[in-house]
Amino acid sequence: MTSSTKEIEQLIGKEYDKGFVTNLEADTFLPGLNEEVIAALSAKKNEPPFMLEWRLKAYRHWLTMTPPEWAFVNFKPIDYQQISYYSAPKQSEKLKSLDEVDPELLDTYKKLGIPLEEQERLSGVAVDAVFDSVSVATTFKGKLKEVGVIFCPISEAIQEYPELVKQYLGSVVPQEDNFYAALNSAVFTDGSFVYIPKGVRCPMELSTYFRINAANTGQFERTLIIADESSHVSYLEGCTAPMRDENQLHAAVVELVILDNAQIKYSTVQNWYPGDKDGKGGIYNFVTKRADCRGVNSKVSWTQVETGSAITWKYPSCVLTGDNSVGEFYSVALTNNYQQADTGTKMIHVGKNTRSTIISKGISAGKAQNSYRGLVKVLKSAENARNYTQCDSLLVGDQCGAHTFPYIEVKQPSANVEHEATTSKISEDQLFFCQQRGLSPEDAVSLIVNGFCKEVFKELPMEFAVEAQALLGISLEGSVG
Amino acid sequence: MASAVSSLEKYLEEYDEIKSTLPGQGLDWLVQLRQQGLDQFSTQGFPTTRDEDWRYTNVTPFIKKSFQSVLAKPSTTVLPEQMDHYYVPDCWQVVIVDGHFSNTLSKLDGLPEEVVVMALSDALIKCPDKVKSYLGQAVENEDHGFIHYNTAWFSEGLFVWIPQQVKMKQPLQLVHVVTQENVATATRNLIVAEAGAEGVVIESYFGSQAQAYLTSSISEVFVAENAHLTLYKLQNEASKALHCSGVYSQQEKHSTFNYLDFSFGGLIARNELHVNVGFAAACDLNGLFVGSGRQHFDNHTWINHLQPRGSSRELFKGILDGRARGVFQGCVKVFEDAQKIDSEMHNHNLLLSDNAEIDTKPQLVIYADDVKCAHGVTVGQLDDASVFYLQSRAVSEEEAKNMLTFAFANEMVDQIKVSSFKSYILALLLQKFPQGGIEQEWL
Amino acid sequence: MLSIKDLQVKIGDKSILKGISLDIKPGEVHAIMGPNGSGKSTLSHVLAGKEGYTITGGSIEIEGQDLEEMAPEIRAREGLFLAFQYPVEIPGVSNIYLLKAALNAVRKHQGLTEVDALDFLALVKEKIKLLGMDEKFLYRSVNQGFSGGEKKRNEILQMAVMEPKMCIMDETDSGLDIDALQIVAAGVNSLRSEKRSFLMITHYQRLLDYIVPDVVHVLADGRIVKTGGPELALELEQKGYGWIGQVE
Repeated sequence: MTSSTKEIEQLIGKEYDKGFVTNLEADTFLPGLNEEVIAALSAKKNEPPFMLEWRLKAYRHWLTMTPPEWAFVNFKPIDYQQISYYSAPKQSEKLKSLDEVDPELLDTYKKLGIPLEEQERLSGVAVDAVFDSVSVATTFKGKLKEVGVIFCPISEAIQEYPELVKQYLGSVVPQEDNFYAALNSAVFTDGSFVYIPKGVRCPMELSTYFRINAANTGQFERTLIIADESSHVSYLEGCTAPMRDENQLHAAVVELVILDNAQIKYSTVQNWYPGDKDGKGGIYNFVTKRADCRGVNSKVSWTQVETGSAITWKYPSCVLTGDNSVGEFYSVALTNNYQQADTGTKMIHVGKNTRSTIISKGISAGKAQNSYRGLVKVLKSAENARNYTQCDSLLVGDQCGAHTFPYIEVKQPSANVEHEATTSKISEDQLFFCQQRGLSPEDAVSLIVNGFCKEVFKELPMEFAVEAQALLGISLEGSVG
Repeated sequence: MASAVSSLEKYLEEYDEIKSTLPGQGLDWLVQLRQQGLDQFSTQGFPTTRDEDWRYTNVTPFIKKSFQSVLAKPSTTVLPEQMDHYYVPDCWQVVIVDGHFSNTLSKLDGLPEEVVVMALSDALIKCPDKVKSYLGQAVENEDHGFIHYNTAWFSEGLFVWIPQQVKMKQPLQLVHVVTQENVATATRNLIVAEAGAEGVVIESYFGSQAQAYLTSSISEVFVAENAHLTLYKLQNEASKALHCSGVYSQQEKHSTFNYLDFSFGGLIARNELHVNVGFAAACDLNGLFVGSGRQHFDNHTWINHLQPRGSSRELFKGILDGRARGVFQGCVKVFEDAQKIDSEMHNHNLLLSDNAEIDTKPQLVIYADDVKCAHGVTVGQLDDASVFYLQSRAVSEEEAKNMLTFAFANEMVDQIKVSSFKSYILALLLQKFPQGGIEQEWL
Repeated sequence: MLSIKDLQVKIGDKSILKGISLDIKPGEVHAIMGPNGSGKSTLSHVLAGKEGYTITGGSIEIEGQDLEEMAPEIRAREGLFLAFQYPVEIPGVSNIYLLKAALNAVRKHQGLTEVDALDFLALVKEKIKLLGMDEKFLYRSVNQGFSGGEKKRNEILQMAVMEPKMCIMDETDSGLDIDALQIVAAGVNSLRSEKRSFLMITHYQRLLDYIVPDVVHVLADGRIVKTGGPELALELEQKGYGWIGQVE
């Protein structure tokens, strides 16, 4: 078995190949955080006064908070005064089309596998690319505008749609929600804003690629998506970062608002730099993502494939307020070397007949620690609420850890909650069976790991599913049973 | 917070008064052990909901009452006939009333000579060295206020020592009864099964009617190589009692430990169950809690697989009516290099009323790769197919649901291997289902 | 005994039974045969009153009483018995307890007194012998850990104790080896009487070798497409269900 364990480790332990640095002249603040920095940041973004107030309120509250310690992760305390809170590629003028985008930057995207012009032409995916802190290009804006969909950098939305922003920003994740969300609220630089008007089915999948490039810059995106009544949108988020030795902080906030009969599907592939084999470097990914299913019959679906970051602290959640609303969470989290992931979801059942599904697949290799942490809460008002949770962990190698921490709180007798979890290693019987049927050990492992993750992959949009499978370092050749 | 501090001080002040009456005065090691417990208790106090392990169970309002140690009160006499209904037939009995061993109420006739069964206070006189080698050993690395309190305060307990290869012919029942209001009792039990030994111990806790009091009990269990120990626990305290108990078991290689808990009484009952499973050892931990009114049950279990090839099975079931609240926190931890572990944990719950609540937290913490671990939790209603099946056999829907609810509980009773105890528990369980019209003879 | 007129049933939006009529007289044994998906199990469930089906037309009567509004337990007390294709396991409820609860519910409904413990035990022991079952079965949980054959025998035991008027047997032969099939059939045959009718739902003919029906119906796509004597079953066995399509 030891030989095949090694092979598995090799397969999963593919070197990070997105570690390159783009040389761009950047406009960067000196490290440090205080009210002046926030004011300067707000001024840089030409924000209306209400935003500065909003940020300062968050900042003042943040000062009273301490970082959470309950997660199953270990790292040295972060010195928030050593971080630069603003970094933008220097450009003299605002860009009007893709042609004006710095070619080197576009090349970066190419290396990431998302050439914008290609996408515009071929894949029909609208991309709002966030390079460090400023959104550099937004494609398909025009076509979306025709149907009334607003898809733009949030900095732009703050200026152009202040009423929408005022109404919804912070309404799902309040400024004081948690330590990292408060920090984000104070200093967020950019992110995406999406508004889908009543009855509109967004004609294409919306996509943002986040990328941390400059050294020692924290990245604090803020994403706000509003699906108005009977609308529908699928949103893709992909994240990569270049290889750097210093740990970099990423503390994003994503808020989803779903009104009556509307649906949001939010898919993430996160492969930020995980640090090297010795645990040096890597991104700290402390993210607050939450969806509020406010409307009746509304639905949200989170799908995530998390293979990157040195530390992941992330719990995309669903507040199921509207009657008959549905929340889903599908997750694959792979950790290797010294990576630590503490991820999961919260399903808060408030409305009647609300339903939620949680499928979590954790794969732990090397010396990594992989934890599922989830909360299913059924309030007294949530008659006939249903939840089904399944979290499975796969262990590769004998020095890693896989942990499961579900919390289930039920205050309603008609609720039906079912939770199942398993932890095991790749079965020798399965491996042997596959080999006996002529498969190489690599193909056998590929087959088994893919089978293990299949329930989640099938939730991803096609082009993402392909990327996700590639990210696991395993080819999906042949059909997986 | 001020009041919590002052209530802690009351406990500490009281300790000075009763200290000299505690057993084991002349034993330096014990005096030292108690002092350590007291020191830690005085810095920590009782746990609060700010402790993650106690987030669902708030004992602070009860602790504030400052229950007075039974040792500070005059003892009451209990007549043998008042005890009858506490005795499980066909068992040896050790009886502790209000924190004191009662020789006259205990029944140990016919106990094999080589087996040591006595009150802990006697053991501290007759075989202090033997006690020393076990007392405090199983809770050495445990750290919460109730353990430290118990270490400092315990006035009595059960000492059981089954020598190598000895198989006890019938079960031994610990009968723990509290008759007084607003008292606190602290008992420490030591249960030792030497290599190849076998035995069944029943711990049972009772109280009188609606009294409020605190029962603190800790059992340290040692199951040596190839030994097989079964521990049944019945908690049927008075309806306003606070019951905080802990069972801490150390299992050597190839041993088995079976534990089955029935929680019926008390207002707040917290069971700690910690098991260290040795090489190729097996443990089976099960429990049933049936609550109504404002009862609160918290089962906190922790299985440590420290060595390879161990197995563990765990099933706790809860039925909650009225405003009752149930908590299940179970953790299975597999340590590095503890390969080939096979572990399953299940928790199933039924809520019968709009105001009942269940919080459940099954956890897996795994540091070895060659393991098979699983857990499953359900909260919910009875199986529709079963209800329909019974209806198609002429049984009304309501009756069918009653029957299935009872059956849900009865499945745990079925696990009892001692028939006299099984009947005893069944009778108690039936009292919990007055509406069922269920007759014992047909079960 | 049982009279079904133009019964139409849907599951959700899907029509399953598209107008079935059947008339079973006291003492008669009818068989309904049909391929998978023809609606056989739906018919048995609807007769017993299972939720999840919508009756969109027609009627079901037992001895002139409309069944549609009756709860499942009332139908059972009125003498309708369904032997399930997949009897459920009920851990924690003993067989004997269920039998007693069922019998007393029926007796109460009929205005009779409940049977006392001793009489009941004697009655059950007599019935259990008929089915060649061990008395130990009485004290085991309902169907829990039973083999396929034991479950089916257990169904017949319940039938024997409850003494229904109208017995519906849903795929009773499925999963039985030949020995178990003979025991079950013998049990059923011993219960045949002038006052008791049977409706046997089955895919295969082999059960009908042992329990010979008076009338055989063929169900296809929610309709009875052919009715005949026992010989129809044999013909079906030889020619397969494809043949029915050609006949139509």
